[in-house]
Amino acid sequence: MKREKSKKYFWLQRLRIFSQILFFGLFIFLLLKTHYAGEDYLKPTVERFFHFDPLLALTTVIGSRLLYAALLLSLITILLTLFFGRFVCGWVCPLGSLHQFFSFLFKKARLLKPVKDDRQSLSPKYLILALVLVASLLTVNLAGYLDPLSFVYRSFAVFVSPVVKFIMSEGAGLAYHLGLKSTGQGISQALENLALNSTFQNALFIGLLFLGALLLNARKERFWCRYLCPTGALLSLFSRFNLLKLKIDPEKCINCHLCSIQCETNARPYPADEWRSSECVYCNTCAAICPTAAISFPLKLKAEKIKGVDLNRRKVLLTSLTALLVAPIFKITSHRQRSYPTLIRPPGALPEEQFLAKCVKCGECMKVCPTNGLQPALTEAGPEGVWTPVLVPRIGYCEYYCSLCSQVCPTGAIRELTIEEKTQVKIGTAWVNKNRCLPYALGKSCIVCEEHCPVSPKAIQLVRVETLTPEGKVASNLAPFIVQENCIGCGICENKCPVVDEPAIRVSSIGEHRSQKNRLILEIKEENEAKSIN
Amino acid sequence: MERRDFLKSLVLSGLALKLGPSIYAQSVAPELTVVEGEDPAAITREAIKALGGMNKFIGRGDKVLIKPNIGWDRTPEMAACTNPQVVKALVEMAYQAGAKEVIVMDHTINQPKRCYVRSGIQEAAQQAGAKVLFADEQRLKRMNLKGEWLKEWEVFQDFVEVDKLINVPIAKVHSLSRVTLGMKNWLGAIGGSRNQLHQKIDQAMVDLAAFFKPALTVLDGYRILVRNGPQGGRTSDTKLMKTVVAGKDPVAVDAYGATFFDYQPSELLFLKLAQQRGLGKFELEKVRIEKRKI
Repeated sequence: MKREKSKKYFWLQRLRIFSQILFFGLFIFLLLKTHYAGEDYLKPTVERFFHFDPLLALTTVIGSRLLYAALLLSLITILLTLFFGRFVCGWVCPLGSLHQFFSFLFKKARLLKPVKDDRQSLSPKYLILALVLVASLLTVNLAGYLDPLSFVYRSFAVFVSPVVKFIMSEGAGLAYHLGLKSTGQGISQALENLALNSTFQNALFIGLLFLGALLLNARKERFWCRYLCPTGALLSLFSRFNLLKLKIDPEKCINCHLCSIQCETNARPYPADEWRSSECVYCNTCAAICPTAAISFPLKLKAEKIKGVDLNRRKVLLTSLTALLVAPIFKITSHRQRSYPTLIRPPGALPEEQFLAKCVKCGECMKVCPTNGLQPALTEAGPEGVWTPVLVPRIGYCEYYCSLCSQVCPTGAIRELTIEEKTQVKIGTAWVNKNRCLPYALGKSCIVCEEHCPVSPKAIQLVRVETLTPEGKVASNLAPFIVQENCIGCGICENKCPVVDEPAIRVSSIGEHRSQKNRLILEIKEENEAKSIN
Repeated sequence: MERRDFLKSLVLSGLALKLGPSIYAQSVAPELTVVEGEDPAAITREAIKALGGMNKFIGRGDKVLIKPNIGWDRTPEMAACTNPQVVKALVEMAYQAGAKEVIVMDHTINQPKRCYVRSGIQEAAQQAGAKVLFADEQRLKRMNLKGEWLKEWEVFQDFVEVDKLINVPIAKVHSLSRVTLGMKNWLGAIGGSRNQLHQKIDQAMVDLAAFFKPALTVLDGYRILVRNGPQGGRTSDTKLMKTVVAGKDPVAVDAYGATFFDYQPSELLFLKLAQQRGLGKFELEKVRIEKRKI
């Protein structure tokens, strides 16, 4: 018998790889576009990717009990998946493509040797999905930790881009050192234009998770997609009526197992009736690799009995129960009783409860923040809020005429604000620590905080203070006094304070507009006025 | 210049003007020109012309760095940064005088790109052909400033590598030095912990001014900041003066700028220190000032 591979599927496979490169490229392009490039308002960038993600749509809508119109785009994904299966995983998903690429590398390096008749259960991802969904019923949003888009964006924003920046700026330094001035200048100026952020708390952990996820591909091809991805699992559940069904021509098949061994997601194209359509990502590898071109994916309208996953009801039930028990643990922390002083949310952030239900920890706001001030929270927001954005003024302050974080948030956890609206939003209040402030404590002149205060009239006014020095002299200097109602909590005062280790002026979350509880000054006067008007 | 030398040259040049033909007129060109008018670019050009033209300060083939104040993320209406039209006019004039390359840069306080864009300076300067650069930390080098207080500090090398510096500050109020004009503008040429300089700001300004020594200082007084300095925030914090002050003597320029805010130059410590240091003179009555209105 004449052996010949299928040309058609060879080209379809190439087309798939091309599509993966295209979407990955688009993702990176849009990611790089997520910065201030001279316009106050960004056109929709990479958050569009997130809007097509049904898991994020489902969990944020369930969790917050609020609809967010843009997420309706995910219905398109669901609709397409209903008829074409998990092609999104195989052709579009940027993290899937990355895993595919690393699997390919590990195979080439012979670190990954696919085995025949791999029976390892693919069920963990479904259990993760059950966990995530049940938790969102209890308003705990865990989707962002393992959702592929959140995962890959966060990893790039918080880990890859600072690493790239570090290497590039060292490169510029080296170029200057070698006398290549224009090269060094070119790199530095490009870096400033790209506005990559250079430092993130937690970056090491987030980075190691990312590298770990990539390394897992040395164990099993597309490990993440097979076993972990809750979004893939959700799409699997929708891929029930696939129009394109795998067909093996028994005349041609030589029972070589090659298709099943090389299957990216272990969907078992061979033996003939074991193909699991809900695991198939339509990568076309099996059809392209088949030495006798026995495999094809013809259009077949007739519904067939489709093999599902080896998932039993007991496991799902158990996981859901676990989630019901585990989710409350996230809720019983003291963070819910009292506001945390360092929990300074970006301007436009919804009230904490809703914010936590909606935030998917993707890190877009942290990528776009021009001062690097938005950082992934560690303990500031309680266990539910790990990796949610928090402003750390010691690292970067909130730029006065900037509302970019509110524009890029894919789920509306940060409400979109115009620049005018943004300048009116109070996210915290500054406090002077007189024990460390130069004029108060040392009798030296300073006023740096006042100089930087961006509001007009300034929230930092100056008063003259006299400090007795050990020599018996009286040092008279201008010292800061906070006018609470003018302060918007931007934190530039804390950021620029010359007492760099523990600034003498610090912003805490009190007074933030989004909270009814975390208030300082009762505005009773206004209420009385309102009453008298009524 | 010693006072005696100065007086001698004053007398000599006065005589030359009286006796000699018109070619000597140049030697008594004003030390300070103050031009008032509607168009920021036109008054800038006029001020330089009245000083004797840009060729007096920029030579053929010179590499020139123009240092405006681009410190803040504010539009020109807020008068926190130098007027972009003033900067543009200077770039054009520097090229006309034969400059090989004109660089415009500042070490900003807010995000550099924002300041460069919203101030309008990046666009205006680029239109005139300038190379607009962001301050680059890799180019900082600790240098001996030979200051009285500031002995050593990190300086952006771009400022010391060029042949000529032109300082183009804007006139603003400041809570500590009371006004921020030309000399304080040099805080934008250095790196390091600039915020610590406030502990002795007047001395720091003078030490920096003595180090950088601009070929020319052009003070933008078109729209000045009179409240909420040094960044303002509302147009009501500003005042239209429609004036540009230019001169080689950085102290005289600043002294004249102080009068915008109704300060006597002698009230300002940094002017006194600067004069003591021999950087120029703040006693305006001893300065040849030419005022024009266009």
